[in-house]
Amino acid sequence: MTQVMTNMPKRTEADRLDRGGRLDRLKRRPEIGVFLVMAIVIAAIAVASEGNAFNALGLKNNLSIISQFGIIAVGACLLMIAGEFDLSIGSMIGFAGMSMAMMLKWGLPFGLGPATPFTAFALTLCMTLFLGWLIGTIVVRSKLSSFIVSLAFLFFLRGLTEVSFRVINKSTQISGLPDYKETSWFADLFGGQAFGWVYDIWFRLGGNANRAGEQWVAGFDMRVVWFILVAGAAYVVLSRTQAGNWIYATGDSQASARANGVPVDKVRISLFMLTAFCATLFAACQVFETNTADAAKGNLKELEAIAIAVVGGTLMTGGFGSVIGVVFGAVTFGLVANAVFFIPAIDGSFYRVFVGAVLLIAVFLNESMRKRITGGL
Amino acid sequence: MSGPLIRTEGLVKRFGPFTALNGIDLEVHAGEIHALLGDNGAGKSTLIKTLSGIHPPTEGQIYVEGRPVNFRSPRDASDAGIGTVYQDLAINPLLSVTRNFFMGRELRTGPGPFGMLKMDEMDRITHEEMVKIGINVSDPGQLIGTMSGGQRQTLAIARAIHFGAKVLILDEPTSALGQKQQMEVLKTMMRVKKRGGIAIIFITHNEIHSQLVADRFTFLALGEVIGRGTKAELEGEDIRHLMAGGHEIRDLELELAAV
Ligand SMILES: Nc1ncnc2c1ncn2[C@@H]1O[C@H](COP(=O)(O)OP(=O)(O)OP(=O)(O)O)[C@@H](O)[C@H]1O
Ligand SMILES: [Mg+2]
Repeated sequence: MTQVMTNMPKRTEADRLDRGGRLDRLKRRPEIGVFLVMAIVIAAIAVASEGNAFNALGLKNNLSIISQFGIIAVGACLLMIAGEFDLSIGSMIGFAGMSMAMMLKWGLPFGLGPATPFTAFALTLCMTLFLGWLIGTIVVRSKLSSFIVSLAFLFFLRGLTEVSFRVINKSTQISGLPDYKETSWFADLFGGQAFGWVYDIWFRLGGNANRAGEQWVAGFDMRVVWFILVAGAAYVVLSRTQAGNWIYATGDSQASARANGVPVDKVRISLFMLTAFCATLFAACQVFETNTADAAKGNLKELEAIAIAVVGGTLMTGGFGSVIGVVFGAVTFGLVANAVFFIPAIDGSFYRVFVGAVLLIAVFLNESMRKRITGGL
Repeated sequence: MSGPLIRTEGLVKRFGPFTALNGIDLEVHAGEIHALLGDNGAGKSTLIKTLSGIHPPTEGQIYVEGRPVNFRSPRDASDAGIGTVYQDLAINPLLSVTRNFFMGRELRTGPGPFGMLKMDEMDRITHEEMVKIGINVSDPGQLIGTMSGGQRQTLAIARAIHFGAKVLILDEPTSALGQKQQMEVLKTMMRVKKRGGIAIIFITHNEIHSQLVADRFTFLALGEVIGRGTKAELEGEDIRHLMAGGHEIRDLELELAAV
């Protein structure tokens, strides 16, 4: 005998979603995985380096490389959320560095006279933004995968950089440029130091002293400031503005976004210009800090940027990602990349072993997260 | 009664050598549910895509409230009061209910796309509009990907109405749904009709659904109109006959038996 069910559910739709407590919601955040990894890495490196990784100089050096990673990873992350890749970031760094250093050494093109740090930077930025626009436009117009278009630019720009160096400079390196950051406030914005007060206070509190008892480290590199600015701006834009909504929508379902009037092509082209901007920023900090340039600069950086974005919880398929996660990812990668300087016993190549392993784990975690939030599609 | 809300005259749409629509005349009136019926590939989706600004017509003219219009983008059409709920709903599964509701028309303070979103206000409006149409979303921050098909459908309808649609186009809104959710969508349509002033174009393969809610029918086959009429004018038998593209159901039965 079958019995007919007659007790209709009295619950409403609203009762079905258990929002859970604070802890539950924290556990479901996309950054939680990379946060744990970061915490473990910080602890492990602090112990293994006997604290040296986080003494005055260690902190400066670590934050410097973290910021380098972070600046380009934030750009890569936003672009990936919109559903595209940019493999030209590394070559763009090399190109921008070459361009600025050559203008500073050999003068502006077209016989416009000697370059100042500002004109060298501004002209270079115009070129890189144009290149970013070009890559984006080709991707949007041709409907080809951005993977292949930007791969073409990876080769094209690296080759162009080397050729330009050899033709104009006779060597693929420039060193011994004047120390512009001493004379130009503009160069100081990229190559100088910041947050000196942190180290001043640290010194006054009894730390940060060298053997002679004088203040040891004067400040953080400016790129730390740029990283904070870029990440902060990206975070606000992504989570709080209309542009952010459009970026997510473009990567999630381009057709849907377009049908609702989102200018998906403009969004994507702008983001290719953003990654070009980030690469230029990366290069400017390097050139004005060290007063050198090298055709090989930025090699493989695009892949590290993508790896950090993925480890930070950005979906390879687009539509989802978090700037906070990318910041944690940059911290993790920066610390591990630098670890060899503080823990002499380990082999520097373990960095790549670590990157590979963490990347693989991250992709699996992201995939399961994607399944959960889309209801298992 | 005033003139039709939407009228098309000799609408032709060709994709290269292929004629998807071959001279469609259509009239859609306010306060009515207009069923658009026809076999797979008859051209129903193509017709509504030209009405909603996705495809420009190759020939012919669309009139909205008597005025000739030329839509260059979906935005033009929605500005003219044509709200479309596509077969794929045009939703972003990884985004929240609110963000989907306001997609492309976000409320913001400050100029340009970098203006700040008014998230609280958008959450409130979304919740209100969803309740009005019959779904109580508990959390406007819920991701669409976790909502049921009927809820998504309802969201898309509520969105179109909120943004001033005078004509609501629903492309197979019930096709992917379970029985109860199909009824929810039909109920939603009736509620919209009751609000008055809005015309609904309803595409479906389900004869029963069309008879339950539609006031007027248009049948397409191979890109042409093969029949039209009001509910009063058409018999159930006619509808079935025309839905099959003019074939006799009995013939089809014989064909089936012969397999
Ligand atoms: N973009 C396009 N390019 C070329 N042909 C197309 C295009 N869009 C539709 N067609 C063709 O036009 C015809 C009508 O398609 P349409 O999608 O309008 O059918 P439909 O009536 O909506 O069918 P269904 O009930 O299966 O949804 C089909 O033969 C289809 O292959
Ligand atoms: Mg269709």
